[in-house]
Amino acid sequence: MLEIQVYLITVLSLLVIGLYCMTFKSNMIRILIGIEIILNAANLSFIAFSARMVGYVDLMGQSLVVMSIVLGGSVIAVGLTMVVNAYKHYKTLDVKELRRLRW
Amino acid sequence: MFEFIPYTLIFLFIGAVTTLSVGIIEERLGKGRVKEWLSIIFIALALGGSLILYNEITSKPLGLMVFSIGNEPPLGSCLEVDRLSVFMAFSTLFLSLFVGVYSFSYMEHDTRLGEYYSLLLLMMAGMVGVALAGDFFTFFIFWELMCISSYVLVAFRKERWGPIEAGFKYLVMSSLGSVLILLGMSFLYGMAGNVNFAYMSVGINWGAAGIWAYLAFILLFIGFGVKAAIVPMHTWLPDAHPEAPSPISAMLSGMVIETGLYGLIRVFYVVFMPNATLLPNGPEMFKYLFAIFAVITMSIGNIMALLQKDIKRLLAYSSIAQIGYMLIGVASGTTYGLLGSFLHIFNHSLMKGLAFLASGALVERVETRNLDEMKGLGRFMPVTTITLTISLLGLGGVPATAGFVSKFILFGSALAPGVDMWWLTLIGVLNSAFSIAYYLPIIRTLIATPTGAPSGLKEAPASMLIPMGIMAILIVVLGVYPQPILQLADGASKALTEGLQNYILKILL
Repeated sequence: MLEIQVYLITVLSLLVIGLYCMTFKSNMIRILIGIEIILNAANLSFIAFSARMVGYVDLMGQSLVVMSIVLGGSVIAVGLTMVVNAYKHYKTLDVKELRRLRW
Repeated sequence: MFEFIPYTLIFLFIGAVTTLSVGIIEERLGKGRVKEWLSIIFIALALGGSLILYNEITSKPLGLMVFSIGNEPPLGSCLEVDRLSVFMAFSTLFLSLFVGVYSFSYMEHDTRLGEYYSLLLLMMAGMVGVALAGDFFTFFIFWELMCISSYVLVAFRKERWGPIEAGFKYLVMSSLGSVLILLGMSFLYGMAGNVNFAYMSVGINWGAAGIWAYLAFILLFIGFGVKAAIVPMHTWLPDAHPEAPSPISAMLSGMVIETGLYGLIRVFYVVFMPNATLLPNGPEMFKYLFAIFAVITMSIGNIMALLQKDIKRLLAYSSIAQIGYMLIGVASGTTYGLLGSFLHIFNHSLMKGLAFLASGALVERVETRNLDEMKGLGRFMPVTTITLTISLLGLGGVPATAGFVSKFILFGSALAPGVDMWWLTLIGVLNSAFSIAYYLPIIRTLIATPTGAPSGLKEAPASMLIPMGIMAILIVVLGVYPQPILQLADGASKALTEGLQNYILKILL
């Protein structure tokens, strides 16, 4: 059983990686991957906290993670649909080529 | 505990499934308007359900009800309803009814209408569910339901590039917000050991929490702020609102961003506010944080709105400014200030909803959103122009409209003894006066003498004019006689300040 701090450091570094991915990458799919990385940071954090006490697991935290995986999948599915449609209009996946997008 | 049955949610979910299946059958047949009628009927039923909920809650001594299936709250999830939840559900469904009727003829040239109505009902179900949720588990599911349906609805007309681009931007920013809420909540969960708001409120050892409490608060503030369009996080809004179909713009601007604000207020008041004294400089820090964001939000919103030529984009920036006014009430932290905030949520949903619906009717006829090309349009579409004028005057806070009452309460709340933020009132009043500078030119443009002769322009169809007319009448009536809604909002604000202990104890005991 690892200490909780190890998980928290991982969570914070995943948050930083995800934010970096969303700010500095111009590929639309990579931006969606950035969201997914931060979502996984949140999920990991929930799981780490729910199993913090030895011999006891809080089921609410774990079921919340199952739901959030499903919901995250739905968000990414909608996002990828938009990416496909944007690709049909612009023939590129580069967000900088999208005319009015200002991040 | 099974103190009530959430009829509102049940009706909305049944409606979502039925409209989708009927819509698919009608798409095959190539004709039929059953799905539109069904959606209107189910919204009306859900509105009735929220009124039933209001009746039930007024008969309870504490004004609280809990609904849970299976395990009781510490181990299971629940819906917890107080007057604030009922108020938000009622406001959402009240606007939804007008939007549903308006969509009837606005959307008739689009395809995939079964999906449209189904998603519209699901978005409403999401907003109502967020208002009724008693723990973070339920809250997050309904939150994401609302978000995902609104992403699809913004990008509904996918054959044009504008909605797709705005929709993608909205999706990325808003889902980043949702994910940050989840992360912030995971820290609170780690400290409290439970996802229930009431357990989070009492279960956290704030003395030992230190930096994690601040980190959780910052993440939650950013997350809800993205959805509520508080200024540094607002950049999705001026793109998403104009590009969405007009009924969806009305919904987004009227209630979805307010639901973000509701989430912020609910989590802040239940989890952070009772323990604010345990944090160093807690109450003062929170008060000034909200006050500063209120000032930034309303100033930037108004300045940016002044620069717009696109009528729907202008209204979108004006929504940001209105969120700034609502934050004044939250910053004051008193019952009176929150009363102003909630009253403004309801009035703004009517006024901005009407403004978007009326401008949508104009845009549909002239097929441009540029204000310069709308010169003299009022001669051809008098009813639409009159309703738009009333809504714009209301948004500007002219006396005898609903906007005046709520703004008066909001600006007055910052002057109350114990709050003493006269500068907030001053900036608010200046901003309100400043905002007239972009509402009046719209009216002037519409009633000016037409330069060319744009012949062949007809008035909007009756099914669009009827909801717009009723909303315009309501804005004036509630401006002269605000008591009914004032009473609702008063109960909502009291539930949050005086009834907060009961809200927490109801779950714990």
